[in-house]
Order: sequence, then C-alpha cells, then structure tokens
Amino acid sequence: MSEQTQLPQYGYVGKIAWIDLTDQSVKIIPTSDYAPKFIGGRAIATKIYWDVTKPGMKALDPENPLMFMTGPTTATGIPTGGRTSVCAMAPNNLPEQFCWGNMGGWFGAKLKFAGFDGIVIVGRAEIPVYVKIDDGEITFHDARNLWGTLTHDCQEKLSAIHGKEAVSAVIGPAGENLCRNASINTSNDNVAAKAGFGAVMGSKNLKAIVVKGTGDVRPYDVDMVLKLRKTMGNPQRKANPVEHLDRCAFRAHINFETEPGVVKKTNVSCSHGCNMRCNLFVLDTKSAFPRKVTNQVHKCIGVYAFQMTEDCGMFPGMFFHTEKNHNQACLGQGAQVPPPPDTSDPYLEELMTRRPGSTMNFWDGDYDRGNVINDLCTQYGIDKWDVIVWLMTWLVMGKRTGVLEDMDLGMEIDPGNEEFMKHLLDMIVYRKGYWGNLFAEGMARAIRTLGKEKYGDTIYKGIISNVVPGLQLDIPISFESSWGHCFHWQGRGFQGSPPPGYYLSATLMLMTNTRDAQTNSHVHGTLDYMKETMDAHKACLNRKVAENAFMGEIKAEMKECVTCCDLQSPQIFWPDMECQMLEAATGIKMTEEELYLACERSKNLFRAILMRDSNRCRAQEEPEAYRPLQYPDCEGQTVAPEEFAKLVDLYYDVWGWDRETGWPTRETWIRCGLEDVAEEMERLGKLPPEKSSK
Amino acid sequence: MKEKKQGIKERPAEELGRHIIQWDPDISLCAGCGACEIVCSLIHEGVSGSRSRRIFFEHDSIQLMHKVYTCQQCLDHPCYNACPLKDKAMLIDPETNIVYVNEEECIGCARCVKACPFEPKRIQLNRNKKAIKCDLCRGRENGPACIEYCQCLAIGMSDDSPPVPGVVVKV
Repeated sequence: MSEQTQLPQYGYVGKIAWIDLTDQSVKIIPTSDYAPKFIGGRAIATKIYWDVTKPGMKALDPENPLMFMTGPTTATGIPTGGRTSVCAMAPNNLPEQFCWGNMGGWFGAKLKFAGFDGIVIVGRAEIPVYVKIDDGEITFHDARNLWGTLTHDCQEKLSAIHGKEAVSAVIGPAGENLCRNASINTSNDNVAAKAGFGAVMGSKNLKAIVVKGTGDVRPYDVDMVLKLRKTMGNPQRKANPVEHLDRCAFRAHINFETEPGVVKKTNVSCSHGCNMRCNLFVLDTKSAFPRKVTNQVHKCIGVYAFQMTEDCGMFPGMFFHTEKNHNQACLGQGAQVPPPPDTSDPYLEELMTRRPGSTMNFWDGDYDRGNVINDLCTQYGIDKWDVIVWLMTWLVMGKRTGVLEDMDLGMEIDPGNEEFMKHLLDMIVYRKGYWGNLFAEGMARAIRTLGKEKYGDTIYKGIISNVVPGLQLDIPISFESSWGHCFHWQGRGFQGSPPPGYYLSATLMLMTNTRDAQTNSHVHGTLDYMKETMDAHKACLNRKVAENAFMGEIKAEMKECVTCCDLQSPQIFWPDMECQMLEAATGIKMTEEELYLACERSKNLFRAILMRDSNRCRAQEEPEAYRPLQYPDCEGQTVAPEEFAKLVDLYYDVWGWDRETGWPTRETWIRCGLEDVAEEMERLGKLPPEKSSK
Repeated sequence: MKEKKQGIKERPAEELGRHIIQWDPDISLCAGCGACEIVCSLIHEGVSGSRSRRIFFEHDSIQLMHKVYTCQQCLDHPCYNACPLKDKAMLIDPETNIVYVNEEECIGCARCVKACPFEPKRIQLNRNKKAIKCDLCRGRENGPACIEYCQCLAIGMSDDSPPVPGVVVKV
C-alpha cells in the first residue's frame, strides 16, 4: 500500500487531549501517533481503546475512556464532515462491549477550531464538574449548580456563561442517574444515544463539555472542497420556508388532521458545514416542561411518537439504485429534500413502488402527545429508540396479550396518553421505585429481569402485513434484535418491510457489531441486487449478500473516520467519493482499494477488541444475530438457522476470517498492517490455525 | 422585499447600500449549516474559521433560529472615514460604492472596526491583524460566494426578489 506515514498539515489540527477527571490533569498526545494510519474519528478511538484498556473493565468504571473524535474533514467545509464519533465501553449494550456512536451538531467542528482532533476522558471527578476547552486551554469547573438540569437548560446556561460561540455536549438527568439508555446531547438536538454514553458521562461526574475555538482549519484543496459542496448528495438549491399545515403529514403513514396551522415545519441541517437539510424541524410545539413551547428536530424516529398505526414502509429507491436514480438512504421519508427523479429511467416505477408498513394500531395520531414525548426524551437525555420503538410498543403489545396484567405502574398503562408517558419517564429517569429502576437499566435488561420467556418472547398476533395484504405476522411483544438493541430495518417488527437482500445484509452487519448498526450502515445496492435476492432462502446462498454487507461495513468505517454521514455515503455510482473528501481535506491521495484497506484495518481492530475483551467468536455472534430471522418478514418468509449459517460462511470468507471461529486469520491481520495484533491473538490462543484460513 | 433585523443597532434603510440580507423564515429559514461563513473564509483566506470570515453566522444551538449578520455597505461608509490610510488601506470601489480593504496597506489599527455602527461588528481583524470586511466578493464572477453556496436560499441581495419556494435555482 502506498501509504502516507506523516501527518499532513492539512485537515488535522495535530493534537488529542487526554483528560483525567480524577486528578484534573491534561496530557497532550500528537495525532500523528495514530493518523494517518488510523485515518481519524472512530479508527483513532479504536486504536486508543485497544492500546489502553484491559479485559474486565465495566462501562461505568472510571477507567472507561470516553472518546470524542473528529475526522480530517471535520470543520474543513466538506459536507457532513461535521459529525463526531463517540466511543467507549457501552452500558446499554447487552453484554457491555466496546461500542461507537456518532453525533452531528457543532461540537466536533468547535473541537477542531479549539485545536484538538479529539479528546479522551478518563477517571471520575469527586464532585460534578464540567470541562471547558477554549482555544487549546482545558479547564475544570464545578458543575454542582448544573447537576439536575435538563439538557436544553444546561446548554443555555453554559452559553450564558461562556458566550454564544460556546458549544456544549451535555447529559440530562438520565445520564446523571446512570440510566443505561442515557444520551449525550449537543446542539441542534443531536445526540449520541444508543450506546448509553450519557451514563458513562454520569459515572464520571461529568455534566458537560464546553468548547470554544477561534482557530483555523486548513483544507488541502479549497477548490475541491467547494466542488464537493455542490456535488455530494446532489443538493437542491431552493427555499426552505416554514410551512403552516393543517395536518401532521410527515410520512405516508404519519398523516392525520390537526388544528389548522398548528403544524409548522421545515428542514434544517444537522451539523457544521453540511450541504443538505435532512432533519425535519417543527416549530412552536408543546413542551413537557415549563417553557411551554419549543422547537424540535426530528430525524428518523421521533415522528413515530405522533402516530403508530402503521409501521414505517419503504420504497426500493430509498436503498436500491439505478444509474439514473440513486439517492441517499431514507431519502424521501418526508424529512429530506430529495431531488426530482429522472423520469427517463425505465426502472423508475419499480424504484418508487412502495412496500407499505404493516398495520399495527399501537397509538393514534396526536401531535401534542408526540411532541411531549420527544421533548421528554430530549430534555431528560434518554434514547428515543429505546423509549418509542421498544418501551412504548412493548407496553401496548404486552397489555394486549395480558402479559402485563400484574404490572402496577401507578397509572393505567397507555402509551397513547401523554400524561402516562410523563409519569413513566419521570419514574425511569429519576429511578423511582422498583419499576423506575428496572426500566432505567434499558429494555433488554429489564425484560430479562422480568423473565424473557414471558415478558419478551410471548407472541403478539395483531400485526398485519400490507405487502401481502391480510397476512398475520406473529412476532414477539419485545422488538428486540441483537446486542440489547431494537429492530431497525431488520425486516421484522419496526421498519419491517425491506426485502431479504436488505435485511440479510443488515443482519450480517449487526452480527459483527455491538449495537444497532443501521444508524451508519443503511444498506445500499443496485436494483438488480435487490431483485436477485427477493427469496430469503436463495439469498442465504448468494455471496453478493455477504459482499454487500462487507461494503456497507467498510463504508460505515469511512463515515466514522473521514468523517461523513450515512445519508450521503455510500454513493454506489460514485465509489471514490470518500477518497476525494479525504484528498480535499488532507492532500492524502488514496485509491478506493487503499481506503478500503484502511477501513478494514479499523474494523478488524474493533473485532480484535471484542475477541480480547468479550470473547467474540462465531459461536457467540451467529445465534445472537440469527434470533430475529426465525420470525416472519412482511411476506411471511423466515430463515432457518442452517440457512443463515451458510450465509455467515460466505461472509467470513469475504472478510478473510476463519469459518469455524469467526476470527481473522494471520494473513488478514498482516494484510491490514496489524502484525502486533496477530501476535497478541496468538498469545491469547485466538489465531486460527493456518489450515483453516480461507 | 422583506429583511430580517440585522442586529441590535439599526440604521434607516435609505442609509444602507446594496448588501446581503437574511430572508424571513416564512420565505426561507436558515438551515443552520454555516456554509455562508465557511465558504467566505475558504474563498478569501483558504481556511475555515471564525477569525477569517466576513459574514457572521450566529448559531442558535437550541431553538435553531440562526442569525446571519452582514456588512450593510453603509452609504456614508463610517469604516472608510475612520481609516487613517483611506484610499490606500481602505478604498471605495468607484463603480459600486462598496468599501473594500487592501490588506497589504492595512496597519491593523481597528479604527474601522470601532467605527462600524452595528452590533455585532461587521468588520474584524483577521489572524494577521488585517481588517477584513464583506465587499460582496468584489471581482468574483458569480458574485457573493455565501449566496451561491447557501443551499436553502436563506440569504440574498437586498435588491433581490425573495426566492420562490419549490423553485430550484441552478448555478
């Protein structure tokens, strides 16, 4: 590999801060210790984690390094580079494992302007503190007067103290009270939520990190940056007026009447420098708190608090593409601003033919209720997926099946009632009583404590497919997929309508991960790929599914390293887009193959951590990933364990991992430039014998 | 034409020249990407950063009602009047009446900054202690870069017609 070994003067700012809360010390690490071999973002965080942690550490231990890492494109003006990777041992994964997250907003850009490519936070402060990063200077401040504040209040107070230019990443009461599903919140209502990193901050007595920066970030090629601003995502230049609607009409399946003009909506960007406006923005909405009204940002999930009578459907063009029509994942879901389709495409009708979501009838349309629930989640700092997709649906299905008849939550169980949801989330976030403490452990653990057989696996018979109209889809009352996370385009339960070529690939990506991977790994492929994989049984024998998952995972690494966003990458008809981003930012010229290898290195090192710390192997991950596939997809198809096993064989082959154990071979470690990891794996007895290499 | 308030100090419209404005949210809401100031600093200074911008994007982290502060191109040009090296360091374009800075001559005294009648100030000193201000990208073929790169047409020229929702503008 013609790899650059010196850290370029462009893109990066050269320093990573190691912040120890226990003794309030700061150590500066040169970024060049890691980059460009580990390009940035998550790759650097993974390498640091591999180097500094030992097996046996728990998520809420002081030693757990909580890392915020930018990429070389961050703050350069390259679209979507503003996103920030957040990595640590995750409390909301089951079991606790090393994990990643990412968030938009301005935090990462400000970090770069302040002179840091990233920060690593370890230790535990004696009293609640916040950390201030101001143009290279890092200081520790008493946060006792902020402890207990809601996330918006906390951000506003910090802005009042440190100025409007200050951007903060904060936790709310959920993080303070170590709720495993607690989020880290930052500007534009961006969160790193799923892994529960808010609880990691809480365990460190760290209420917030405030960043101010007036430094420069210099990209290598300004003209190239400007060109990318006009080409990435095929952005539309058109006005973005606040619309006053008479309906809550955000998706095909979220559509009901409201008081005239009550729904005020438009779109906003999620992060510094993005050239799109993918996020739905609703104004003057009902708040759950004394501020009465608030503006809210909705990405994917929040809108389902408004109404869930029908599951989220999809149309092939959201994920599967032709040369004439290829968009970002989920584009056209209502929040985004899609370009008009090319009507000369003979496949346009196929691309746009909707696969509707199943009929669920969980809760009817109520705009105020939806806004209150979203506001509760945002202000408390708790993961909306855990609440809306999992807790609320489970309560409905559990009640209807009679499973919850002995459960006394102090009010009638009714997720469609905003007062009930306020009552319930107050119990959870402040860990009130048995039930509050139980659900504060996150849904996966709560259900296991109650007894998974009854409280998780009881079959609900009320979901009716609309892809095969009238077909009853019997799935468990708990929308659990893998690693303590809930369904997300897994072909079952919530977002259950993608075809097998999608959900099998997504399942493989989930298998080797430690959390819901669909936030950065929406499946993309050609329309031909989709059509070739419509039969789930045959698709399990099709290497293209394994290759699709591999591509999705590599691109996910790129998004988290370069950095980029899941709604702009991958562009399957512009395969070297990320190479161009990297070159524009840093001057590093990599071929597509070279960038792929750099990302393989990062992914394999992630796997090494899981092998070392969490006994990751095929015997562990295959059954974990398989579980949802035993239940029917929207066409009634299920997958047998032996069928999935054949697909896993193909997938391991693509990665260069041993079929029997799922461990990378020595050849794979060496190819990725990780000889030292190979030695460590040999010492641990986790290097597959040469004869097993594929 | 509808113009958003441009700061806590205001001057009558007749005292202002042709300048960049932020449209009302009902015409087009600023999506909050900051492209205006990013592109401004990239094109003029080759870097991204708040010390290198000539347009001042104020990010509202919570309610997302962002503000864009711009030089109003005052017709009586108090910044030019305050410059001790006027017509060398700070000049007036004879065709457009726009005040622009010749950085080579600028001594960084910041009198122009103090003379700016607006809050926040629309002129600043860059990292090299040179005054920088919006000159509508003087000499640039496509006009002001911030307008060209604003994807949601949230800013425009004060003599422009408001953008029409739904109409895609090609560059």
